[in-house]
Parts: sequence; structure tokens; C-alpha cells
Amino acid sequence: MDDRELIGRVLAGDPRAERELYDAHVDRVYRLVYRMVDDPHRAQDYTQEAFIRAFRRLGDFRGESALSTWLCSIAISVALNGLRTLKRAREREVNIEDAPAIGVRAVEADPDLKTRLTHAIDRLPEGYRTVFVMHDVEGYTHQEIAETLGVQPGTSKAQLFRARARLREALADFARD
Amino acid sequence: MDDDQLDEPLRSAARDYHAAPEPPREAMWRAIEAQRRVDRVRRPAARRWTAWAMAAAAVLTVGIGIGRVTVPDAPAGPTPGNPVAAAAPAPRVNETAYRLTTVEHLSQSEAFLTLFRASVRSGTHEQLASATARQLLATNRLLLDSPAAENRRTRLLLEDLELVLAEIAQLSPGASADDRKLIREGMERGGVLTRLRTVVPAGTTSTRGDL
Repeated sequence: MDDRELIGRVLAGDPRAERELYDAHVDRVYRLVYRMVDDPHRAQDYTQEAFIRAFRRLGDFRGESALSTWLCSIAISVALNGLRTLKRAREREVNIEDAPAIGVRAVEADPDLKTRLTHAIDRLPEGYRTVFVMHDVEGYTHQEIAETLGVQPGTSKAQLFRARARLREALADFARD
Repeated sequence: MDDDQLDEPLRSAARDYHAAPEPPREAMWRAIEAQRRVDRVRRPAARRWTAWAMAAAAVLTVGIGIGRVTVPDAPAGPTPGNPVAAAAPAPRVNETAYRLTTVEHLSQSEAFLTLFRASVRSGTHEQLASATARQLLATNRLLLDSPAAENRRTRLLLEDLELVLAEIAQLSPGASADDRKLIREGMERGGVLTRLRTVVPAGTTSTRGDL
């Protein structure tokens, strides 16, 4: 069954169609959200919220992009808003200079490449990190990223370029070793 | 810019960045499904509210029209020499709208409390009760702060209803049967349902309610 038919059934009030739509997309949405938030509880909350919003707004979906892209754009929006709220709450609780970046784990004394890279990606600016995760980690195309984030493909490419440059810079000493 | 790839070790390591565990599909679906059930109940309610608002606007328009036709021309606006006109109270054009809204709210509350009481008696677990109570509580508080509460009888009923709704809103999913029974008994002691039914005639949400 194609997306259009499924959407039609959901809009007609068929609860089974909602479940089918959910089953078809939940893994991809959850995986992307988890990559962004690195917390199982928040990933669960944000994924749920994304699907609830999507079902509510499904009548507004015009089919200009793939349904999966549209769902991911809602999920990214929910996740980023959640992260910003969390960051603001943490900044109120601790001195901003002492506050670790959201989702950053303590750096081990002798970190391996993965730990260093994770730490470096966590510290990327929000826009760079989102594009990097979507492109280099999850394999989205620049066109999909542009549609998901509501930017031009050129912007996505530029942000990815800068994200990679920052990561190289952050891991330069590691590379020399 | 796209050919500016990271070195292979970095690319490989990046693929493990915050790798997701198996999604809790069923747990998430249960939460989504519960919210969707609430949405399905709310959406027709929202449509009813729109219909009520349009009806209220129509009533107001007709009222204003009748007023213009039947009331003799008033003297020109307030002037320094006409202090009486300047002190005249502003017309209370929203009374009907508040009345309609209050009857609608009390009608929904009556239906909700009836279902809640039945679920307590039968011992069934009503998961959506707290969410619905919170929604009704918000409307109730708005009405208490509105001219609708100027009528003493209405205000007392809204105040008693607020207590009951607040108790249900605070019920946790794991609340004991005793907690629910206490709420039901409190509801019956204050005669909240009976009073609601007095002001909202059965089977209607029309303006015939005695407010």
C-alpha cells in the first residue's frame, strides 16, 4: 500500500491504518531521534510526540516530500525543541561555564577514537550536528535533509563541510598519534 | 563540498555515534494510541465549541439588530454638559456567550463525572480520566474568572466542580480503588452531579439550562 492510500485511511478515521503508518516509520524516526538525544527515555517521549503531532497534522500533509521525510522533520523539530528546553533548564541549575554540553558524557582519561569522536560531535553547533548526523551517520541525502530541515540543499552541504572541518580539528591530535 | 569525506576510521566510528537500541515499539504505540483516543473525543468537542461560538455570535448579532430597531435614538455621545451619558454603564453584550459556554462546560462535566462514577463502581481502570479532568479543570477556572461566575449559584457550582475535577486530575494511573472511591463519595456528598443535572437538562446542551 502506498503512502497516499494509507494517509487516506488514517484521515478517514481507521485506527488500524494509524498503526500501519506507525509500524512503517517508527524505527527510522526513533533511530534518528535517539542519535540526536542519546537517552532512551527522551527518545521514546520525543518519538511518541512526533507521531501524535503527525497524526494531528496529517490533513495538512501535501505530499510535496516523502511521508518519511515529513515525519522526520516533525521528529527533528520535537527533539531539538526538547534539547533546547533541557539545555535552558540545566543552565539555570549550574554555572554555564561549568555545564557540560547536552548529552556529553565525561571524557575518559585515555579515550579511544569513538569516545573522542562522540564527544566532538556532541559539541558541534546544533545545525552542524543535525546535518552531520543525518548525512554521515544516518545516510540521508542533502535533498532529504533540506526538505526535512526546511533549508536549501546548499546550506546542508555547507553545514556538513563545516561540521567535518570542526571534527577534524577536534581530533587533529588524535590523528597525529 | 560533498567529496570532503572524513577519513575511513572516522566515518566508521561516526556510524556508531549514539547508536539506538531496539525501539520500544509497543510502549510507544500504547502512549500514542491513548492520546489519539483523547484527540478523537476532543476534535468533535472542538467542532461543537466552534458551532457554539457561531451560534452565540448569531444570537448577539440578532440581539444588537433588534436593539437598534426597537430602542429610540440615544442622544449624541457624552459631552461635558451631559455627564449622565458619560457615566452610563457599558452594554454587557457577552452575557449570552458566557451563558452558552457555561452550559456547554457543565454538560461535558456532567457526562464526564457520570462516566467516572460508573468506572469507580464497576472497578474498571479509566486511564484517560486525569487528562480529561485537567482539560475540564482549565475551562472551569477560566469560567470562574469570567462574568459567568457573577451568578452566585453558578459560581458555587463551579467552585465545587473545581474541587472534584482537581482531585481526579491528580489521580495517578496507579491510584488505588480507595482513592477513587473517596472522590466518588466526595462528589456524592456535595451533590455535584445532581446539581449539574439540575442546570443541564438531560440530553441537551441548549440554553434551556437554568443558570
